[in-house]
Amino acid sequence: MKKSFIAGIAAVSLAALGFVAAPANAATNDDSKCGTAGLICIGVVTDIGHVTDKSFNQAAWEGAQAGAKAVGGVANYIESNAATDAEYGNNIALFAAKKYNVIVTVGFLEANATVAAAAKYPDIKFIGIDQFLDTTKTTPNLAGLNWHEDQAGFIAGYLAGYMTKSGKTGAVVGLNIPPVYRYAVGFANGVAYAGKEQGKKFPASKIIYHPAGDNAFSDPAFGAANSAQLLSQGYDVIFAAGGGTGNGGLARIAKTKGKYCIGVDVDQWGTVPEAQPCLITSAEKLIGAGTADQIAKVKAGTFTGGNVYGNVGIAPYHTFASKIPASVQAKVTAITKKILSGSLATGVK
Amino acid sequence: MKRFNIKIWQLLLTIALLAIWIYSYIANTDITNSVVASGMRFGMPLALAAMVGIMCERSGVINIGIEGTMLLSGFTGFYIASWSKNIVVGLLVAILTGVLTSFVHAMMTIQWKMDQIIAGTIINILASGLTSFLYKEGSTIPNSWPIFDIPLLGRLPFIGHAFFTQQGPIQYLGLLLIPAIWVMMYKTRWGLRTRAVGENPGSADTAGVSVIKVRMINVMIGGAIGGLVGGFICLELVGSFSKEFTAGSGFTALALMIFGRWNPMGAFAAAILFGLAQALSTQLQIFGVTNIPNQFITMLPYVFTIVVLAVSAGKVRPPAAAGRSYEKEQA
Repeated sequence: MKKSFIAGIAAVSLAALGFVAAPANAATNDDSKCGTAGLICIGVVTDIGHVTDKSFNQAAWEGAQAGAKAVGGVANYIESNAATDAEYGNNIALFAAKKYNVIVTVGFLEANATVAAAAKYPDIKFIGIDQFLDTTKTTPNLAGLNWHEDQAGFIAGYLAGYMTKSGKTGAVVGLNIPPVYRYAVGFANGVAYAGKEQGKKFPASKIIYHPAGDNAFSDPAFGAANSAQLLSQGYDVIFAAGGGTGNGGLARIAKTKGKYCIGVDVDQWGTVPEAQPCLITSAEKLIGAGTADQIAKVKAGTFTGGNVYGNVGIAPYHTFASKIPASVQAKVTAITKKILSGSLATGVK
Repeated sequence: MKRFNIKIWQLLLTIALLAIWIYSYIANTDITNSVVASGMRFGMPLALAAMVGIMCERSGVINIGIEGTMLLSGFTGFYIASWSKNIVVGLLVAILTGVLTSFVHAMMTIQWKMDQIIAGTIINILASGLTSFLYKEGSTIPNSWPIFDIPLLGRLPFIGHAFFTQQGPIQYLGLLLIPAIWVMMYKTRWGLRTRAVGENPGSADTAGVSVIKVRMINVMIGGAIGGLVGGFICLELVGSFSKEFTAGSGFTALALMIFGRWNPMGAFAAAILFGLAQALSTQLQIFGVTNIPNQFITMLPYVFTIVVLAVSAGKVRPPAAAGRSYEKEQA
């Protein structure tokens, strides 16, 4: 504890030199009693971006608040200003210095800094969101919170299978890396499953990957042009998944009447408002719930560390709630339960 | 002076492409239309971005800051459109931003005679840093430029559906703008002066053409087009701003400009060719060609472009004075 305190002091002096940001909302939640036995203090270190980003950071922060409320603890956040290990590390150190006992880091970019900090502060529990850990190299006070993307994709695909009129569905996605592959193939399998259930033989859902390159997730024009190509060939439900690339697809699909699009990761109703005319749902990682769940485990003493999995689901239908038949909604709810319980496999390896 | 240096291979390539087009049009009209239209969608932003390069280099100024110009213009265009709730204002601001950015480039390269590559790099770095730093999530514009069909033209057989339907106004504008630039470059006094300044500024100066003025104006017209592309992507094609949305297209555009031999129509053809390759790669994925790894399929447009470049380009000759600042000789 003492060692960590000294490290914290060091970090704070670094901060004084102008390297790190001060806690953004230190005043909104009193952390002066952190360190007293039994009090859970949760610090969220965001990735670049704000806790109002309607995406990962916001979901994690809401989860931390919900978790804090449930265990009667304290929650605060620091917004990172740069995507560097030094920035993340310094922000983590600020919380450590104030004797926080749970630190949540958001996004795979923070993985290195989180692994290092977990080794440095063995008394603090770390929750790394969207960080798949090599558990042979990490300490037991660190949990990497992940999601089964294929399950989220499958549920979204199942809904797509009931919403398509032409039977033609597709996915415009980022680079073919494991999480993207799981989303896309899960989606295709979900569509096929829904088709089989209705006694229809749908053509296989088409997956269009972005070519390799550092622009794979920031190429909205690619997403838009590819979605348009699918639309013009009668594809009427399209899953657009992959950062800016996917968002470009969503926005383009929204411009064509009578077509549906599905977002990814978080409820994109908020993150890509221009997609609202077509956005029936988003294949979602339940980040807030997963985070709150881990905090509850810390309180209960059942926190295990290692790779843990949160639940997935699909986002609210918003205005489409009135357009998606109630019978379909009921089926989607039922299939979600089956998928989450493991009684139905997605067929994605 | 020959404007279309059509060589035999170019003719063959064109005939081959036309033959493939006609064949597939007969075989499956809908898919062919869809692929060609998609090629246009992929190609038009690149073609317009290549025009920026042509405007600048034809007058003797290298501009590798196209990427940054587009990024900055897309940024200001989008946020102003979001703030004013008016996409017309947004587009105008995007164009204005392009002009201002290129004005900076013009001042650095023409007036202060800085190294042109470095000046362009500065603009790229500045644009990338500034737009990332000022970026704010969740802003929206009331609507993006709508897509529509052009009456009559859209119903033309063969080309109508692919070129004149389901696109936005700036996409259509590009179809007018690029030939217009070609006409201006080769058929007007201004074009002659521009080319003279780009090839031999000393002679142009002797003939009474103000090298500095011609260059300044051309670079800024180029900037306006760059701004238009930024606005095109953010306000029409996509409808939102995302960080680094240009995704390297400013540099691809430079390659297409060289491929098109600094000729507006040539660069346009090159961009459409690249766009078509991209659309075909997508179509292969839609056809569900699963026995070829998709990494290979997604690579094809690039391989195709490199092959076509290697086979066809031969020796290209940039404007002779491109990249060199003009110093008046001492009397």
